[in-house]
Amino acid sequence: MPATKKAAKPGLKQVGLPEETLRGLYYNLLKTRTLDERFRKLFRQGRFAGTYFSAVGQEATTVGPTYGLRDDDILASSHREIGAAVTKGIPLVNIVAQVYARANSPDKGKTHPCHYSWRDKGVFTPASTLAGQTVVGTGCAMGFKLQKKDNVVVAFFGEGATARGGWHEAVNYAGIHKLPIVYICQNNLWAESVPAHMQAGIENFSDRAKAYGFPGITIDGNDIVLVHKTAAEAIKRARAGEGPTLIECKTYRYYGHSEIDPADYRREEEIEEWKKKDTVTRAERMMMDLGLLTDQQREAMIEDINHEIDEAVNICEKEKYVEPEEAYNDVYSKYFPVRRDEY
Amino acid sequence: MKKTSFIEAITQALYEEMERDERVFMIGQDIGVYGGVFKATKGLLDRFGAERVIDAPISEVYIAGGSVGAALVGCRPVAEIQFADFITPSMDQIIQQMAKMRYRTGGQWSCPMTIRVCCGGDVGGGLYHSQINEQWFFSQPGLIVLLPSTAYDAKGLLKSAIRGEDPVIFFEHKRLYRWIKEELPDEDFTVPIGKAAIRKEGEDITLVAYGLMAHRSMEAAAGLEKEGISAEVIDMRTILPWDRETIFESVKKTSKVVLVQEGTKTGGVMAEVGAAIAEELFDYLDAPVSRVCGLDVPAIPFAPPMEHFFLPNAEKITNVVKKVLEY
Repeated sequence: MPATKKAAKPGLKQVGLPEETLRGLYYNLLKTRTLDERFRKLFRQGRFAGTYFSAVGQEATTVGPTYGLRDDDILASSHREIGAAVTKGIPLVNIVAQVYARANSPDKGKTHPCHYSWRDKGVFTPASTLAGQTVVGTGCAMGFKLQKKDNVVVAFFGEGATARGGWHEAVNYAGIHKLPIVYICQNNLWAESVPAHMQAGIENFSDRAKAYGFPGITIDGNDIVLVHKTAAEAIKRARAGEGPTLIECKTYRYYGHSEIDPADYRREEEIEEWKKKDTVTRAERMMMDLGLLTDQQREAMIEDINHEIDEAVNICEKEKYVEPEEAYNDVYSKYFPVRRDEY
Repeated sequence: MKKTSFIEAITQALYEEMERDERVFMIGQDIGVYGGVFKATKGLLDRFGAERVIDAPISEVYIAGGSVGAALVGCRPVAEIQFADFITPSMDQIIQQMAKMRYRTGGQWSCPMTIRVCCGGDVGGGLYHSQINEQWFFSQPGLIVLLPSTAYDAKGLLKSAIRGEDPVIFFEHKRLYRWIKEELPDEDFTVPIGKAAIRKEGEDITLVAYGLMAHRSMEAAAGLEKEGISAEVIDMRTILPWDRETIFESVKKTSKVVLVQEGTKTGGVMAEVGAAIAEELFDYLDAPVSRVCGLDVPAIPFAPPMEHFFLPNAEKITNVVKKVLEY
């Protein structure tokens, strides 16, 4: 027996996910992080209007539950779910177009940079009245159940959104009717500037599930493997007609509520503490330990992703805005034209 | 031939549309076993089962917003808000999700759904069971707002709403439920959304109204007729998008107009109709555009004399018509 024995590195068996899944999860994490940081940079350069809601730091909570979903499953996301948009497969050029509000954006420039939607991939747009999409998403699950389809809904929201009355009404209904939906609560500790303990008198937001009669579980939201496995299990249950699950992912956003928020309500030590638990770094270490990734491969992947982003940004920056008269469209179906005033 | 009441016309429309299209389902409070507070959904549970006639918990947010979701994935929801007074919690879902879904997705998604809302006074319902609040929704393009006054229109418009591609708020005036009865055709029919009805032709003045006020305007017109005054009565039926053409043509013909609505005067539907007439038909007018409305108070009061003081009626309408004619 050797005098010094290194701790055994985990093998694929211990991780409990196929190689292909791990590669897919890691790729989407990396792509989300890279794109998100790029958007922040582009916003600071004044290249697009409004503001931008970064999700850097909490990518695992959106990539993990989304990876492996079918195109006809529904994502009911909020404003910080770029990872879900990337992983569900909204074409990158259209994600960029959404942020740039150009003619090739899914909504023709009508809503917000971070309100990604893409019907072909089952992603409808969030409203900024938080938890609103949780209600609609729950309705989608009701629709699937009524039609006896085996589709599922994955609904994302922050811990702050669970204070809303509508959130309660939706999950209450899902509990009564055992709807095929998985609720992902991304507890990043801050609802804009208000800390989680000022949003609810409970430590773990998953405790709320008990009141609705379905399982609730709190997990480390920066562990991509754990998030994916927990969500996949819940999705499987939902698809089998066994009802909803509430999964609380404890995580952290590195930047402000949006890019116009300096986030000076937080302590520097808190941010540094969470950066030690960074989800992408942890995933990389695991992939390398498993022999699925080298530094070189990582660099090559980032280069490829950046190249893809460069191309998308170039396309979108050259793309025109829609004609202002587009403002009159998409109000009603074709049967009811909107009055056009001339001033 | 048997006369069908306003509420039976609603029940028939729901029954026939659920028979016709299996995507149609209903959700609301007490609509199942109980058959609805006013019995509009009576018998539907027995025919279509609890999966398509869903007794919801007391959750107006979910009744509206859940219906939006179901509509997104291919269902045709018909939601019921038991009293218009209770619609406030669902305003977020109606205004932010239902009305805007088509717009904010660039036309990718829409909400083909209907919310039925029981509304209106003159029933002794008090502050929280008598409100008529179509005007809250009137300023929200993207929504279709209907408020029928006859059994024929109630059935035909509800069918159009359920079959359409747009989100509809369908107001049912509870005073009309059992009071209004008429013979309805046996065969399937619909009433087009966006078209007003000329209830009575006339030459001297135009009365524009809807819902219970269409009947009050007809009563006023009948009285005026006896005095040799010929009033044209237009029933808007569709509140949003409203039928400018029919109303404008009538005003061009009579050159005088009185607008009647049950809700508060300030910010009401007739404020917009009146402004549009003043803006576009100034050259045709022989007198100021005038209105008869509910009082500008927080809600319809309960005590019977006060309730009647609040509401427009034939007498008030007649008085205003005479003032306009004397101008």
